[in-house]
Amino acid sequence: MKSLRVLLIMMVVCGLAAYPGLAAAKTLKIGSMSPLTGQYAADGNDIRQGVETAIAMWEKKGGVPGYDKIKYYPQDSACDGKQAVSSANKLVNLEVAGVIGAYCSSATIPASDVLNDAKIVMLTPASTNEKVTERGFKYMFRVCGRDDDQSKAAAKFLINRLKIKTVAIVDDKTTYTQGLADNLEKALGGKVKVVAREHINQGDKDFSGVLTKIKALDPDVLYMSLYNPEGNLMAIQAKRLGLRATLMSEDAVYHPNYLKIAKEAGEGTYFTFGQPPSKSIPEVKAFLDAYTAKYGEPGSYSSYAYDAANILLSAIAKVGADDPDKLAEAIRATKMQGASKFITFDEKGDSGSTYKVLVVKGGKFVPFWDPETGKDF
Amino acid sequence: MDVFLQQVVNGLTLGSIYALIALGYTMVYGIIQLINFAHGEIFAAGGYLGVITLSFLQARGVLEHHPILGLALAFFLAMVYCAFMAVALERIAYRPLRGASRLSLLLSALGMSIFFSNGMMLCQGVYDKAYPHFFVSGGFHLGGVVITQMQIFIMVGSILLMVALNLFVNRTRLGKAMRSTAQDRVMSAILGINADKTIVTTFVIGASLAAAAGVMVGLYYGSVRFDMGFIPGIKAFAAAVLGGIGNLTGAMLGGMIIGMVEIFAAGYLASEYKDVFAFVILILVLYFRPTGIMGMQVDDTRV
Repeated sequence: MKSLRVLLIMMVVCGLAAYPGLAAAKTLKIGSMSPLTGQYAADGNDIRQGVETAIAMWEKKGGVPGYDKIKYYPQDSACDGKQAVSSANKLVNLEVAGVIGAYCSSATIPASDVLNDAKIVMLTPASTNEKVTERGFKYMFRVCGRDDDQSKAAAKFLINRLKIKTVAIVDDKTTYTQGLADNLEKALGGKVKVVAREHINQGDKDFSGVLTKIKALDPDVLYMSLYNPEGNLMAIQAKRLGLRATLMSEDAVYHPNYLKIAKEAGEGTYFTFGQPPSKSIPEVKAFLDAYTAKYGEPGSYSSYAYDAANILLSAIAKVGADDPDKLAEAIRATKMQGASKFITFDEKGDSGSTYKVLVVKGGKFVPFWDPETGKDF
Repeated sequence: MDVFLQQVVNGLTLGSIYALIALGYTMVYGIIQLINFAHGEIFAAGGYLGVITLSFLQARGVLEHHPILGLALAFFLAMVYCAFMAVALERIAYRPLRGASRLSLLLSALGMSIFFSNGMMLCQGVYDKAYPHFFVSGGFHLGGVVITQMQIFIMVGSILLMVALNLFVNRTRLGKAMRSTAQDRVMSAILGINADKTIVTTFVIGASLAAAAGVMVGLYYGSVRFDMGFIPGIKAFAAAVLGGIGNLTGAMLGGMIIGMVEIFAAGYLASEYKDVFAFVILILVLYFRPTGIMGMQVDDTRV
């Protein structure tokens, strides 16, 4: 017991001795927000790992000029507005230079209020709801696409390519899913009849009740405006109940997990997602090699998070992190080939959408249709 | 009519799962008046052990030739593992607090629930784990109604387990000891019934049933995740209260009612409010019968 106490005292003393040494070095603090626990932890950890990959690559190159080391603070925003606000406040107190995140739009929007007031730049790798950048925030940027563009791409596909008559739309009543479902209904403009608009709850496992109801309406397409865990399960249950409908979904269900869990029930499902860049581009290859070596196969938003971190670190390397206005300007002026796409920002902070339609074929995501040209790949 | 029958099948399947989990809540409550919040996590651990066993057997090629045997082994291992987990849980978190206030016990239970859930996340990862698929598919059509093999398996399996439990509690010496400990722990101790042993037995049985439900859920929905115990745990707890907490038949009935209400609310009213309807039923029943549906005739079947 006594030795334990001595050990404790020694640890405290050593810790105190080490602290001034650390403080003297100039440390660059970077934060991120994503759901690290709870049901969206898979996507949340993809984002954390993407940021870590970017930081590791900067460190390998000798770090960010002007700073001795990079300190990374990943926060758990849990896809929840309240928790996202408290993570944002924590990052403000830590005086981070910039934040990557969050994942769910319902977490990003309230968190960005806090960060924007504190003049901290925020780059979301995954929140696609239009409101994220529509509020005219100076320090808010988006690396992924926008839902109004995504829903237009989906609607075009349903009308022009699949030429269907009826669709049933299911969402889970969160900012992102419901916003996307509303946009889709608007974009369809009555050309395809929406026979059902159903809602489920986040975290549900059993959808047999609502699917039986939809089966009786017999739509041509079942559009799942959901997140990945629920989307996987709904695909299995829809096929098992014998729904005739073709399945279609969006960027949040699009994840390697869909192939693993839904398996043959997921075959033939259409997705809208940002066009995956060619693997022959050196920047894309560098990301894939570094990420795969450490964490295995990247998730849907790993590359976006990696790009967001790179944009932030490159801007800091140019203008430093002391003046937030200069930093935001430098980010807005970004022109770089990323691992997810070629990135430039417009005045709102959007980086443009590159939505394409993909299909699950033979247990893989295969590019299927290009909304811009209206042709198959 | 087809839609209605299909919803009945859906409801019975979901209700069977809730009922199996609810039994564990109700048994433990009956004997030490504790709401064992970690019960949902034991259910999730059962699901994980099932997927680990089945994936191992599939990788070895055993599952293809002996699917029934593999399934039996998965259930057996999951139930044994969860039984040990429950023994450890009781020993570490509940037994030292025997005699302490009920609030401390409750907090200890909540703490263990969070501990187990995060422990599973750390050692099994944050991604869903997929069950081998050929159990999940397959089924037949009766008119317009689809009944899958798994639905039949869940319903029949649950009923068998519940009948076995009833026989055990009502016909065996250990079951009699459990009933008497539930009624009056001090008096049964005076008469030579080992209370600690009886309490551990209760935990073991409740956990095995939850483990079986965990494997069934994994097989039925095709995957398990570390946090899958939370929501079914809450629903099963509600089912136990609805049926009259402490009462075995009540827990089964409560599970079936909650499952049915949920499915019918989703199918005929609004699916986003299905949980609301389930809890409205709970509140209404408790308003008119504070002890739950079967709460009055506690004496014989209470464990």
